[in-house]
Amino acid sequence: MKKFIEQSWLILTLGVVFAVLLAGAQTSLAPRIDANLTRALNEAIGQVVPGVVKTESLTVPGYDRAVYKCLGRDGQLVGWAIDASGAGFADKIRLVAGISPDTTRITGLKVIENVETPGLGNKIADESWARQFRGLEAGRRMVVQKRPPAAGRNEVQAITGATISSRAVADIVSDALDRVRPGLAGLR
Amino acid sequence: MAEADNSNLRQFTDGLVANNPTLVQLLGMCPTLAVTNSVENALVMGAAVIFVLVMSNLITSALRNRLQPHVRILIFTLTIATFVTIADLALKAYVFEVSRKLGPFVPLIIVNCIIIARAEVVASRQGVARSVADAFGCGLGFTLALCLLGVIRELLGSGGITVMRDWGWSWHLDPKVFEPHAWVIMIMPPGAFLTLGIVIGVVNHLRSRAAAKGGA
Repeated sequence: MKKFIEQSWLILTLGVVFAVLLAGAQTSLAPRIDANLTRALNEAIGQVVPGVVKTESLTVPGYDRAVYKCLGRDGQLVGWAIDASGAGFADKIRLVAGISPDTTRITGLKVIENVETPGLGNKIADESWARQFRGLEAGRRMVVQKRPPAAGRNEVQAITGATISSRAVADIVSDALDRVRPGLAGLR
Repeated sequence: MAEADNSNLRQFTDGLVANNPTLVQLLGMCPTLAVTNSVENALVMGAAVIFVLVMSNLITSALRNRLQPHVRILIFTLTIATFVTIADLALKAYVFEVSRKLGPFVPLIIVNCIIIARAEVVASRQGVARSVADAFGCGLGFTLALCLLGVIRELLGSGGITVMRDWGWSWHLDPKVFEPHAWVIMIMPPGAFLTLGIVIGVVNHLRSRAAAKGGA
């Protein structure tokens, strides 16, 4: 026992001291970090649902992530924002999808967290690529093609060299919509 | 006393120029390549590394007489990991957008060779003042090297330089001469290798000329 203490007292002491330091840093900075994350989320919602002024968070039965009821200037329903996450090429992708008040059309899409390949996969976060999703039908699965999308077929074009990342985004959105829309139908 | 001050100052300037961790010692190449696609990223990464390096050298040097051989590396790594985590939290709290752009490279500071090399070579052998001077020198040297590369890559690759968007104001440099087509390759990995290689080549040339002059 004495030998154990002799050899490891420094490590054990440092371990405790550093743990306290880390706990202190985490506690004091957590409010700011949470505020930053909320702000980023609200900005994303603002970009995917046009005309939104206020949001109300709600839980949809059958879906475990946040869904937001988006209200306009006069308090009317202008759309819904859905927080969705799923597997991408490298790691998880987190995005916000906006749909119309009657839940039939997609009004916008924004990827808010991703660690896809820089210069290739992470182009899914670019507005110019995500814009393709606007106007697509929310009730049908989105299809990612390696050529310009054909009209009426709910298609988007993949990013060159990043087909897997592109398909991941389409799948994440389609899966989330499949689970959320039935629950929303009762709340409209 | 004057001699001791002089040698601390010497240690500092060594890390800055003569023994620059990035351009002379060639350590920490991975984050150098990854985060120099913009000056803002380079500056924030540099700041984080300075903080971790100084704290790591400080603590390692204070404990240098108690480091038993079988736990040395473990204690270095434990110290570095703690301060990198604190730095990561601070970045997420105060410069959220840049922290997102830096992505996995902030936690990866833990395995940045510069920090563990300085702990091994200087902090575990020298006094606290000397070690801290070395940490500032190497940290600033790293930051300067990164900013140099960042300026080159961002100017050529994005057409202009934008700094500090997170804090409300932004300093924007936009020489129209690079429009309308910037060299997009400069902000991608090939551009990183090209820029780094050329800069190190120039630095080596200047060093050999200085050595030749000094010798003769």
